[in-house]
Amino acid sequence: MKKRLLGSLLLGLSMLGFSPAAPQAAEGQVLNVQHPVLEQNWSPLQGGGHSARWMSLWWAAPMYFDKDGQLTPYVLSEVTSDANYQVWSLKISAKAVFSDGSPITADDVVGTWNLSARPATKHSRVNLFLGDVTGFEEVSLGKAQDMTGLKVVDARTIEVTLVRADPIFDQKIATALIAPVKIAQAEDANGNEKQDWWMPQNGVVVSGPFMPESMDLDKGVITFVPNPNFFGPKPKLSKIVVTTVSDPSTATLMLRRGTMDAATELITPTIIQDLGPGFLNGPALAKGQQFWFNPNRAPMDDINVRKALVMAVNPKELALAAFPDGPFTPASQILNKVPGVDASYPNYPYDPEGAKAALAASKYGQSGRLPKIMFVGISTPTHEAAAQYIAEQWRKVLGIQGVEMKPAIETYSGPDQASVQIFRDDVGTRVPDAVSYLMGSIHSGSGNARNKMGGYQNAEVDSLLESASTKGVKDPERISLAQKAQRLFRDDWMYIPYYYDVMSKWAMPWVKNFDKNDDWQVIEPWNVEIDEAGRP
Amino acid sequence: MRRYILSRLIRWIPSVFVLLLTIYALVFFGAGDPIKLIFLQAPGDVAYDPARVEAIREAAGLNRPFLVQFGDYLANVVQGDFGNSLVSGRSVNSMIQAALPVTLQIGLSAICIVSLLGIALGVIAGLNQNKLLDNVIVGFAMIIWGIPVFVSGPLIIVVLVLGFNQDVPYGWDGLFSPLVLVPLLVLGLNPMALIIRQARAGVLEVLSEDYVRTARAKGIPNLQVVLRHIMRPVLTPVVSQIGLLVIATLNNSILIEKVFGLPGLGRLTETAIKSSDYPVILAIVLIFSVVVMTSNLLVDISYPLLDPRAAAKRTENEE
Repeated sequence: MKKRLLGSLLLGLSMLGFSPAAPQAAEGQVLNVQHPVLEQNWSPLQGGGHSARWMSLWWAAPMYFDKDGQLTPYVLSEVTSDANYQVWSLKISAKAVFSDGSPITADDVVGTWNLSARPATKHSRVNLFLGDVTGFEEVSLGKAQDMTGLKVVDARTIEVTLVRADPIFDQKIATALIAPVKIAQAEDANGNEKQDWWMPQNGVVVSGPFMPESMDLDKGVITFVPNPNFFGPKPKLSKIVVTTVSDPSTATLMLRRGTMDAATELITPTIIQDLGPGFLNGPALAKGQQFWFNPNRAPMDDINVRKALVMAVNPKELALAAFPDGPFTPASQILNKVPGVDASYPNYPYDPEGAKAALAASKYGQSGRLPKIMFVGISTPTHEAAAQYIAEQWRKVLGIQGVEMKPAIETYSGPDQASVQIFRDDVGTRVPDAVSYLMGSIHSGSGNARNKMGGYQNAEVDSLLESASTKGVKDPERISLAQKAQRLFRDDWMYIPYYYDVMSKWAMPWVKNFDKNDDWQVIEPWNVEIDEAGRP
Repeated sequence: MRRYILSRLIRWIPSVFVLLLTIYALVFFGAGDPIKLIFLQAPGDVAYDPARVEAIREAAGLNRPFLVQFGDYLANVVQGDFGNSLVSGRSVNSMIQAALPVTLQIGLSAICIVSLLGIALGVIAGLNQNKLLDNVIVGFAMIIWGIPVFVSGPLIIVVLVLGFNQDVPYGWDGLFSPLVLVPLLVLGLNPMALIIRQARAGVLEVLSEDYVRTARAKGIPNLQVVLRHIMRPVLTPVVSQIGLLVIATLNNSILIEKVFGLPGLGRLTETAIKSSDYPVILAIVLIFSVVVMTSNLLVDISYPLLDPRAAAKRTENEE
């Protein structure tokens, strides 16, 4: 009776407007994307945030890495350097045009990059791509307007001078996060970014396969339609609708039901059970998660304590504790996926007896003399599970009792902040290069070494990496020096290996050709299509 | 009455000032740095360059002393300008103008429905004390009182989608769209329990009064007794709950708007807090506080209309 009553109520609601998902319109395929944040800024010049993950839909990158990791021309048809890898010549494709049919010029490229580097624009990653261009630092710190290392040679040619040799500069600029925009639209007379110039209401012209048709930032709904003047292949989708759905459980149900086809990012503890392993799976990323030690804070100032803490943890069980159903794999060395992964790298052993011996050999001698150990970066249920596994292993193997866990360091304050000894975070690279990977992870100038490892510095590691970075991409010494640096770093016992990332597709099985690159961008948006028969 | 309203309005000014100062200080000193948060959204912290972050803070005027920033902010607010979002650069006024009507429409509708239904059910329960109908209504009130909005919202969606193969009622298409039905239901259920219980208790208290017995003894029809002699005294304590109802509705709107995709102030609040976008947070706090203070004032004004004894007491106090 009760069931019938509830059924009648639901039937009533159905008649009022809720009904099973209607099939897509016959005129073309529509991709519905769930976006987790009510994003108010979709500027292509911000370089970060969730909206930046859809840049390849509407902006053509200078170049891009295809599915097989091959550097592929896009806006730039040709990129060459001098013998020292310090002066680069970039040639814009004759076919490259904006959605209004006007050509993409060298002024647009140089103007975009200068505007991105200026602090008022708040581009959060521009230093990853253009940080070595001469004059970048001055512009980035607000001391100059334009980089002296960027020179317009003619309408289609740019000359870039770097402060130091960089054999992979061409790979670094292969990203949609510094895609050229029509600079006359984006920049005001004072050299600042114009407010909301990127909105269709303001007549934005784009260069990618799709163009924004409408943007209701208050409702959180953005629609894209194919760019009729796109200079690449014709897109297969007729529309893309990006809708803000902030609640993860609502988003999960919408995906399950087929109301949504893909997500910008969706992480829940039961995501695999709810949406299947394919949703989260994807190609391996050149990125790994680790628990980093700060050697300037007791007890991490003693290498034997670090050794003990590492050897007391079984890396396989650690990854399983966090992701029992995958798709992530246990980590060992820092490098992953890039050419130069050390095949004979000596993994840290899981050795409870060795751990006990190391602790006994430390200046602390026993667990009772260790100060409380504090983790940060324990920001999700999965990381909590991993950190709890580590704490439990330390308790069982070493008798350590005082362990505390906190989320990201920026989200809490108090005196504890100064006593954090372990920071969970990821490191990686967006170019297939071992040197770049390690420069951003273990070199003393990297943010990881400065901020997460408390200013870690090993002069020999630095010297090897600096030397490797001047070698050509095809020079075998580039990789061998990087591997040597990685092994030296290993001997400092500075981290607990956690897991290697994959580039999750975050799309339901009926969405085809949705491969993404290391910048979270759909590699070839024009190829994305929907298998309508596979929809629920 | 005019003097009373004016004195209440004047008392708002220091309250709002203290509120703004407190929130500004909390966000300024306590929450994460909005510029730093922009950088932390990048994977790892490979792009994080403290010197560049400082240059960006300087360009945004965020490195000035607290009091200077707060003074500037206050001067703009007095002129009706809430400034620009630190994250997007958009005008906060335009964001509020888009979001406020949605929250007001949903909130007011929920309060009206909850009040009418709650009072009706409470009166019915009181008039049928200890009978089956009373037990059903009181039982219902206890159940809905025990289910918080953060449980009932997602639960209803799960039942709709998985149990009855319906689409998620998501988004905003105006107040008269069917999409609003479920959010209204969720927003209203929990506070309705409060009204039901208050109205029922009021009826039980009034039923034992001499004048009700007298009215019934005189043979006045039951409906007239209820409407003329019972309802009016019952409404006075119920109306005092409306102020609390407004607060509950505003609080719950943050979750409801998130779950059902309603583009109101609640959803804006969540986004602004996550990104430490304090011009937006402050504007919303100010609006919420004005709404709450206005509702309290309206409740105060309505007392004498419902109960002349309250008017006499207030006049005595003012003299």
